[in-house]
Amino acid sequence: MLLKTSVVTATLLLTATISQAHTPLCSCFDNGDETITCEGGFSDGSSASGVTMRIETPDGSVQLEGKMNEDSEFTFDKPKGDYVVMFDAGEGHKIKVPGKEIVE
Amino acid sequence: MKTKLVSLLAGAVILGSATMASAHFQMIYTPEMAMTKGGKIPVKLVFTHPFEAGHTMDMGKPEQFFVVRTRGENAPKRKDLLDTLKPITWTSLTNSGKAWDTVYQARGGDHALCLIPEPYWEPADSFYIKQNTKVIVNVGGEPGAWNEPVGLPTEIVPLAKPYDRWTGNVFQGQVLLNGKPVPNAEVEIEFLNHKPLLDSNSFAKDGEVEAPQDSFVLQTIFADENGVFTFGIPRAGWWGFAALDLDPDYQYKGKKCSRDAVIWVQAKDMK
Repeated sequence: MLLKTSVVTATLLLTATISQAHTPLCSCFDNGDETITCEGGFSDGSSASGVTMRIETPDGSVQLEGKMNEDSEFTFDKPKGDYVVMFDAGEGHKIKVPGKEIVE
Repeated sequence: MKTKLVSLLAGAVILGSATMASAHFQMIYTPEMAMTKGGKIPVKLVFTHPFEAGHTMDMGKPEQFFVVRTRGENAPKRKDLLDTLKPITWTSLTNSGKAWDTVYQARGGDHALCLIPEPYWEPADSFYIKQNTKVIVNVGGEPGAWNEPVGLPTEIVPLAKPYDRWTGNVFQGQVLLNGKPVPNAEVEIEFLNHKPLLDSNSFAKDGEVEAPQDSFVLQTIFADENGVFTFGIPRAGWWGFAALDLDPDYQYKGKKCSRDAVIWVQAKDMK
């Protein structure tokens, strides 16, 4: 009985998480002081806090890795060369933002 | 007897208003309410008659102009924009009037641009008009607290996103005075029929549609007992909603002042 309840609860929790996810969103802006800020979130307004962020070279090698902060923001020093920002909230919830598209 | 007189007077006021073909609408205009990417957006504050691009009233220096930015579950951030405003002259099809403009840098989420104007003395009606106005710009599709009151003294709180309406959708809003619903509030609606030309601070000469009769220029509906109104949007573009005279006893400088609340919606065609 207890087990059953636990399973139901787990299912509910899982469903709740999935239903909140929806479309991932990530926009990055050049702060004009040699830093870049990326803002993440989901189309239903839920938080992206804790989502993994990676700065990669165009050939995919990781230059920097971090996480969205409690305000669903990630700020990093602007790389010298070409780069790509990866917002990685899991399979099917990844966004790639090319550095050259990031403006003020 | 007294009731009769009041009714007669009320009738006179209604007749007086009815002779005006279109009503006053405070605009906060920027070309796009639903932006794909952030950036600098031009913002114009114009007090006008939008359907006919008619008489544009002189605006005084606004009492307040600010933005409340909300993104996802983050706490709202309020930023004062009053000092960024620059005076401009806006040219309508019949005159020109004093207006204001600024440029606002928008990043992701909802940006509720809020204006508390200086009351405008309307000689034709012999009362002041004060239209607290809100326009919500969204960047990138991530919603914020668009459905929460900002806390304006008079305010229309949208019950649907004002920036995501398809043509044919309904728009619903709740009319508030000091944060409380105004039952049966009168709401006037106008279509922005002449495109605002931002480079020349004027309206395009040609309108998009022609009204078959004056009733269609300015539509009037009423809110229900909870202050909620509903309007089906028949055409893409900007639609203004003005809830009128929400505090009938209110006075400014010893004269009657109509305290109104305005919100704008931008609808898009499905194509």
